[in-house]
Amino acid sequence: MKNKNIKTILLVSFSFVLVLSITSATPQSAYGAKTPKADDVSDNWIAEDQAKASKRAAEVVPFVDKVVDECRLFRQQKLRKMKLSVNDIDNSYFLLDSPIINKEDDQYGPVRFMHSKHAASVGDCSACHHYRPADENALETTRCSACHQESFMSDHPERVGLKAAYHLQCMGCHQEMAEGPVDCIGCHVKKVPDHADFVKLGVNPGAIEVTKECLRCHANAGEDMLSSVHWLWEGPSPYTLCKEKKINHGKRSTAINNY
Amino acid sequence: MHHHKPCPVNAKFWTPGVIVLSVLMGVAFITIAARFIGGLGYVTNLSTARPWGLWIGIDVGSGVALAAGGFTTAALAHILGRHYYEPVVRPAILTAALGYTFVVLGLIVDIGRSWAIWKPMFFWNTNSVLFEVAMCVMFYLTVLYIEFFPIVAERFKGNVNFKGFLSNFNGLIDRIITVIDKMLGKIMWVFIIAGVVLSCMHQSSLGSLMLIAPTKLHPLWYTPILPLLFLTSAIALGYPMVVFETTIATSSLKLDSEMEILTPLTKITIWLLGLYGALKLGDMFYRGTYVYLLDGTYQTNSFLAEVLLGVIIPWFILLSKKLRSSRKWLFAASTLIVGGVVLNRINVFIVGYQPPVSKTAYFPSIGEIAVTVGLISTLMFIYRLAVTWLPVLNVQVKEVSDEK
Amino acid sequence: MELNRRGFFKVMGATSALLSAGMGKARAAWVSKAPPDPYGCLVDLTRCVGCRKCEEACNDANSLPPPDIPFDDPVVFETDRRPDEKTYTIVNRHSSGKIDDRDKLVPVFTKVQCMHCQDPACVSACIAGALTKKENGTVHYDAGRCIGCRYCMVACPFEIPAYEYTNPITPKVQKCTFCFDRIIREGGKPACVAVCPVEAITFGKRNILLVLAKNKISDLPAKYIQHIYGEHEAGGTSWMYISDTPFEKLGFTKVIPEPIPRLSETVQHSLFSYLWSPALLYGLLGGIMWTTNKAKNKDKGGSDASS
Ligand code: SF4
Ligand code: SF4
Ligand code: SF4
Repeated sequence: MKNKNIKTILLVSFSFVLVLSITSATPQSAYGAKTPKADDVSDNWIAEDQAKASKRAAEVVPFVDKVVDECRLFRQQKLRKMKLSVNDIDNSYFLLDSPIINKEDDQYGPVRFMHSKHAASVGDCSACHHYRPADENALETTRCSACHQESFMSDHPERVGLKAAYHLQCMGCHQEMAEGPVDCIGCHVKKVPDHADFVKLGVNPGAIEVTKECLRCHANAGEDMLSSVHWLWEGPSPYTLCKEKKINHGKRSTAINNY
Repeated sequence: MHHHKPCPVNAKFWTPGVIVLSVLMGVAFITIAARFIGGLGYVTNLSTARPWGLWIGIDVGSGVALAAGGFTTAALAHILGRHYYEPVVRPAILTAALGYTFVVLGLIVDIGRSWAIWKPMFFWNTNSVLFEVAMCVMFYLTVLYIEFFPIVAERFKGNVNFKGFLSNFNGLIDRIITVIDKMLGKIMWVFIIAGVVLSCMHQSSLGSLMLIAPTKLHPLWYTPILPLLFLTSAIALGYPMVVFETTIATSSLKLDSEMEILTPLTKITIWLLGLYGALKLGDMFYRGTYVYLLDGTYQTNSFLAEVLLGVIIPWFILLSKKLRSSRKWLFAASTLIVGGVVLNRINVFIVGYQPPVSKTAYFPSIGEIAVTVGLISTLMFIYRLAVTWLPVLNVQVKEVSDEK
Repeated sequence: MELNRRGFFKVMGATSALLSAGMGKARAAWVSKAPPDPYGCLVDLTRCVGCRKCEEACNDANSLPPPDIPFDDPVVFETDRRPDEKTYTIVNRHSSGKIDDRDKLVPVFTKVQCMHCQDPACVSACIAGALTKKENGTVHYDAGRCIGCRYCMVACPFEIPAYEYTNPITPKVQKCTFCFDRIIREGGKPACVAVCPVEAITFGKRNILLVLAKNKISDLPAKYIQHIYGEHEAGGTSWMYISDTPFEKLGFTKVIPEPIPRLSETVQHSLFSYLWSPALLYGLLGGIMWTTNKAKNKDKGGSDASS
């Protein structure tokens, strides 16, 4: 029992060191953005696999300059002959959160790419692992960021950067298969900018004022709300004092918090 | 040499016509104020696709052309030595000086950063046609004022009569005027030739302005000889313009019609207008653009109007000696020519200009029209003022002696 | 007026000197002033997904006012837009005319901004040199020199420069800056390029991009149409496009393959370099004036010339 506890604490604090090192590069990262304090460790607990994925995402591997341009069919056969399958996958998912991308712009949270799941449903490794490094000793199926790194390298004008490689591959395939999201927020969480700068409210604002302030920018959200059931619901309310007999009790009619 | 002599005109100044002019000036003034408060977009219909409108087409493009009377008559009377035509030089110079002043005023209203108008004098771009036009206009305006100075001097020499405190300086100013006038008299030939040269330069360059827009200007007008066409049309326009304004001025001020000068003057125009027409039609056939003529679009119709009404018909009128000697017909022909050249400038700068991507249409706004009309009114107002106070127009000697 | 011999010949001597210098220069043919190795952008329209991130990034990078319709609202695609004084770049939706296997029209998105022409008409036109073509390919605007004549807007064959018509005193010409301040830094990219999720825009040296574009087209000849828009248009532009749909269908205007300023500059310089023609005309007119004056004096019996 005691042992286990110590183990957990050790693990947790270890993962914090990791998270810290990652988040210092991307301070707004959605994962453990807060600076840990000794006493609220438990609030910032991070799963082991998650920590591992974050660590992996933060790595920048040496750039592969030359690749072998094999045709898709040949490559399919080659990979099949090597008997590569879902079972050989040692990372069931990846966090696509490379510093190569984030240093250009960082509006969205990282994508959690379900590697095993995609492999199982596509059943063809060559769909993504299209080329291999020219180096004989390199892995047959290497990670995307080995070949795709910075965009517009002057020696490789034809090779797309990592961000475009991801997007072209994912969105292209999703479109082709007519399956899977192709819009931004289908895969990413949009990083919500700090509203402290946007919201302009006096001290102790009234409820109506607050709503108005929200609507100043989110007018559409307001419109949507007004046509949703959260606004339109109606019904009898036998247990609400003084409204027992009302059958059209609802937010837009008799409820008090309808600002 | 002549029994006529330029004199101040003794006529009533505040006629109903002059009052209408003042009202139009007032409207323009208010519009200009609005432009400097709300911006160009507030009073004009200009847009990204149509950056130049009425003010450039009429105030600048046509304004410069209409002032061509100044250099064409000066060239005729002073350079070619036909002193017979001397009487029309003064009013022509006055119109030119006023015309160019209003070109500059129009530009000040039209350009977005009016206060920065001096910048091209220091930041040169010799590739820019507009740069050359601007420089020429600036120098020519100076030359015109210099050419006009003797007229002012003639009026005030020995006659400087300030009241009150300034009266102490009357003698001094008189001396200064006399000395400058004498000096100018000696070197006036420099300015007269310069005036003609500068005019030729920017009259033609005004046409070159649109050479930068081959994909935007309709092929009926877009031709490499556009500058030549602008120059020849300006020269052809010079004398009809003199006829036009002299006829209006003399009839409204009830002076002698000067037909004995105007008729031979327009005989020269037959050649000049013929040259312009030949170039224009020749160019059209050479480039094969006549295929557009019967398109029926407002652009081609405008071209037809410009050539038929503005060149061919008046040319035939002038050809007839009888019509040429008739005051009415001469005035009609001159008006057509003047209108034709103005239409040509409007066509080149506005009608023939089509933005290739957005195809945005343009029609001048009330505000633009008000300013253009107001500026022209101001011009006429000052002309009237000038001929009333300065020795510009020829007045029969008899009338003058009557007055005395 | 007086025209004496000495004064006359002094002026004429000076003009003839100018004359010989000018005519020599005038004969020289027009030469392009395009920088040899500019940056450029290659827009692959087949890649653009119409996310309008580039618009948003451009707005942010250039501190432009917020848009009337938010950047994530696809309703803007219902109208054909043009860049304006508050927007340096816009993405329009066009139809390729093709239908995909789910019977939906396949859209083509086109990004529009200043083309940064190699021999820009706007630069040639600008009266005060407020617009300049930089070595790195940027067509740069300096509001400090601008007088607001809008001749650049008249000249631009792509209808790009927009104007702050509502600013009464200090309006500016507004157009894509090619993110000049960013690309002069080592490794810097234009904001719109950097943000594009699918690298629809490739940034690099124009000469390399041309090769890349040609390779792409020849690798997939059935996909791409055989035209690089911007290779020859207006004498070549820094921004170029490749597409799978004919450019005429996508709102790209047909532009002559010659540099736009060539004709006007040739006319202008052959007429006016070193002011040779005005000098010649001056001399000619002076000669005529002198002769007629002399003739007149003779008539008067050799009295002093004055009138
Ligand atoms: S950012 Fe790229 S994909 Fe998105 S609209 Fe712009 S060019 Fe197209
Ligand atoms: S596209 Fe227009 S504004 Fe841009 S460089 Fe070319 S001429 Fe100038
Ligand atoms: S290059 Fe810069 S200024 Fe031009 S469209 Fe892109 S982001 Fe905007």
